[in-house]
Amino acid sequence: MAGPRGKFLQTVVVLVVALLIFKYGIRPPMPFSVLALYMAITLLAVLVYVSSDSESWRAFLAPFWTTLTEPRRRPLRLGLGVLLPLLVGYYAYSQAAAKAEAPVELRAIHPAPPPAIAFRGKQIDLQATPTPLRKDIAANPANAAKHLAAGGAIYIQNCVYCHGDHLDGEGHFAHGFNPGPANFQDPGTIAQLSEGFLFWRIAKGGPGLPKESTPWNSAMPAWEDRLTEEQIWQVIYYLYETTGHKPRVMSEGGHAALPRAPDLAAWLGPRAVQAQQAGDAARGKQLYDLHCALCHGATGKGDGPAAERVLPKPRDFTAGKFKLRSTPSGQLPTDQDLFKVVTDGMPGTSMPPWRVLPDKDRRALVAHVKTFAEGFKSAKPEAAKVPPEVASSDASIKRGKEMFEAIECNKCHGQAGRGDPAPGSDLKDDWGNPVRPANLHKPWTFRGGPERKDVAMRLSTGLMGSPMPTFIDSVEKPEDIWHLANYIRSLGPDRPNWASLVQVQAVSGEIPSDPNAEFWKKVPAANIPLVGQVIVDPRNFNPTIDLLAVRAVHTDSEVAFHLTWDDPTDSDPGKGAPKPDMVALQFPTGTGEGERPYFLMGDGARSVSLLTWQAGTGVGEATAAVEGKVTPRKGESVLAKGQAVYDAGQYRAVIRRPLKGGDKADFVFPVGRFFPMAFWAWDGSEGDEGAKAAVSTWYYVRLEAPLSKQQFVVPPIAALVTVGLELGLSRWAQRRRNRQVS
Amino acid sequence: MHTRVMVSLLVVALLAAGGLFVWSGPAVAQGGGTIVGEVKVSGTPPAPKTVKVNKDNEVCGNEKKIVDVAVGTGSGLGNAVVSVTDAKGAKPSKKAVLDQKGCEFHPEVLVMAPGEVDILNSDGVLHNIHTFSTANPAFNKAQPKFKKVMTEKLDKPEAIKVQCDAHSWMHGWILVTENPAATTDEKGSFKIENVPPGKHKVEVWHPVLGKQSRDVEVKAGQEAKVAFELAAKK
Repeated sequence: MAGPRGKFLQTVVVLVVALLIFKYGIRPPMPFSVLALYMAITLLAVLVYVSSDSESWRAFLAPFWTTLTEPRRRPLRLGLGVLLPLLVGYYAYSQAAAKAEAPVELRAIHPAPPPAIAFRGKQIDLQATPTPLRKDIAANPANAAKHLAAGGAIYIQNCVYCHGDHLDGEGHFAHGFNPGPANFQDPGTIAQLSEGFLFWRIAKGGPGLPKESTPWNSAMPAWEDRLTEEQIWQVIYYLYETTGHKPRVMSEGGHAALPRAPDLAAWLGPRAVQAQQAGDAARGKQLYDLHCALCHGATGKGDGPAAERVLPKPRDFTAGKFKLRSTPSGQLPTDQDLFKVVTDGMPGTSMPPWRVLPDKDRRALVAHVKTFAEGFKSAKPEAAKVPPEVASSDASIKRGKEMFEAIECNKCHGQAGRGDPAPGSDLKDDWGNPVRPANLHKPWTFRGGPERKDVAMRLSTGLMGSPMPTFIDSVEKPEDIWHLANYIRSLGPDRPNWASLVQVQAVSGEIPSDPNAEFWKKVPAANIPLVGQVIVDPRNFNPTIDLLAVRAVHTDSEVAFHLTWDDPTDSDPGKGAPKPDMVALQFPTGTGEGERPYFLMGDGARSVSLLTWQAGTGVGEATAAVEGKVTPRKGESVLAKGQAVYDAGQYRAVIRRPLKGGDKADFVFPVGRFFPMAFWAWDGSEGDEGAKAAVSTWYYVRLEAPLSKQQFVVPPIAALVTVGLELGLSRWAQRRRNRQVS
Repeated sequence: MHTRVMVSLLVVALLAAGGLFVWSGPAVAQGGGTIVGEVKVSGTPPAPKTVKVNKDNEVCGNEKKIVDVAVGTGSGLGNAVVSVTDAKGAKPSKKAVLDQKGCEFHPEVLVMAPGEVDILNSDGVLHNIHTFSTANPAFNKAQPKFKKVMTEKLDKPEAIKVQCDAHSWMHGWILVTENPAATTDEKGSFKIENVPPGKHKVEVWHPVLGKQSRDVEVKAGQEAKVAFELAAKK
């Protein structure tokens, strides 16, 4: 009987192999819907094959038949009879229960550009090739280097936050945006577009996108306000030169019409890929000039064009003071230490991981970086003697907490470790730049990595050039280093688990306004990333507030948001602070359907409603149509209420409003429908005010319908129906068998 | 042995009097001379700043005066270091000591021969010793309340800025020198003993006002006088 069983097994093997190939053999991984389609086609093909003649078909069906009829298969029959209804029931339940996912938005990514645009009162022909800049380079090839350098400086000062140092859309604010910033390295982006298209997108940004790109939600600013025509052509030139892509040319003549790209060698020396094997450091210099100099400066002094805006500042390599080392305080780092920083970057800063470069290139960069500080010539760095590892346990964490208090980590990191030193602590690095102590509840921002061994290493060797000292000889017992590391790692998760949706649970009864009430601890939080507002003036390149944890519930008459965010200082003008701390929840005014207002408080035509809390004045409501022009609501139209508390570096606030607002034009919180929502936060002590804020793009909020009975009724019915079908099938098969036997 | 005791006693006496801090040691050259003098300030030195203390008030007090240029009676400049740049100093008789007391460095300007220094924490709160050296390794070490003494090695001559990041107003200097040297008292007076007879170059150094040098002839058993005047730039 090997034949018939073999047929069925063959089918299964073919399907499994196909699934493995589709799932793991194809890169990039395909979405589930495509995978399902491919598998369906495979199944169909296999079925066509096995049913091609009746012998083969019977052989294929044999295992089903025997399972249904053979007496010795009774246990299997019973097993399946129980398992199948349970699976069906579970599937029905999972479909009936609410999903915590925001809806997928379809939009045209590369909409058709207009033939020409008005730019600062001038008409610009987007189809003209070559572009004015390329014309200039064709006429004066010597200008190429100048334009490239200018484009690089513009990029690093304006674009890097989102599009990243590697031009791959992985800048340090990128996680705050949906849709994510464009990846210029991807052959599907600028390589498919003309320079005129790029000019249009850069000049007009998200607000200038045509209708088919709605809901546009794009955070891309309209750079027309900030950059000149020449600057935009320069940055476009930089994008193509750095990625090595060629712009598409619309007009006749094609690529031949383009002026030949200048040899980068003239400006940077021969490119890395063509580099002679003249020694690691020489190769490293070329890579450094290409990838690092815009921040760290051509001479390694940390004074590239990016330096004036980012915080922490790019490291000055000439001083020989390196934060992340495995060597004792006072020593230079090992090659491996430097290699690790180049490879992994420094989370929470603008230093990205350079894993995109081959291993050899990263080693070459290390060799070059070492040429900047005299000390490396004679130094023989030795690894610090970190005590043997102690596993994390309740006892270890307890001891760690005692040590945390004994060695006064709170002096800089705050009582609860949220990076909130006493006001006026005036922490500075060795170059006089302000330093923000690590928030120990956010390990994903730890510069040297979140692992316990990373934390133990930082405690053992300190962060040279910063106020963080070494503690290796300054704990009671050497193993206390590990107890401290275990305690610190017990404070926060590895990753923040960013949300895409704020689900508002339905509750009955009174919702407490007290942010510390037990009630709120049972409500799950949606973690929303906040990033600096770097689009309109005044810009916020280094926001202190980077996460807003949102809990929300509603009754049939009101909705309440519970917000938690870390802020190193509580700034209340009533207590002498120059500017107040604030937070705002932003919604589109009206029904929330159709085109959304620009995420920065609207775009003139479309306005937003804000629910706000402000230190000193409390909860309020406001409207805005253009960022910076916030109009507080007054009097009876204000229905929002709530309160906030500040404790050990953390704010917790409750903002509540009836489903129906006090203003007739205002939105009514819809139940069961996705509704746009965005977030704002201001740190008054950092001078945040108006546009200088931490922001999010649009998210979705959904008020869940009260827990419907549906999800408890449908699954059992589905399971029962399955049992019925099974019984019927089994009976029919038995009868048919008996007939055949007789 | 007798001389050693005598000199030590002299040093203790001087310290107790709050007067000069003389870089001490057994006499190198019997019959060496002494250099005495004054350092004065001309111009308008920056006014002291007052900083509000925001932590550890029970040991640090509520206010700290930050004096970058300490001017005493008759425009005398305190906390300047005068050294004989072309002579070797004697071996120190005891280890240099830098104390952190009342959230201040004592002395504010420490002069020491290359070697070890004991760093004391007399406050019972966390301090951190953050040095800005270039010749010696720069370090930043925590000194929690239970760590009463830390010993550090400073082998190479240089002027090292020292700060405590936990208390932002705490600044001090360690001057590592192989030369005979002394710090000025609050009146700007100094006294360097046991200088070998002969012609010498004498230099004054101040963290803010910079350097100035003079030639002087020292005769055995006699006092040579030197006067300095450093200009305060506004």
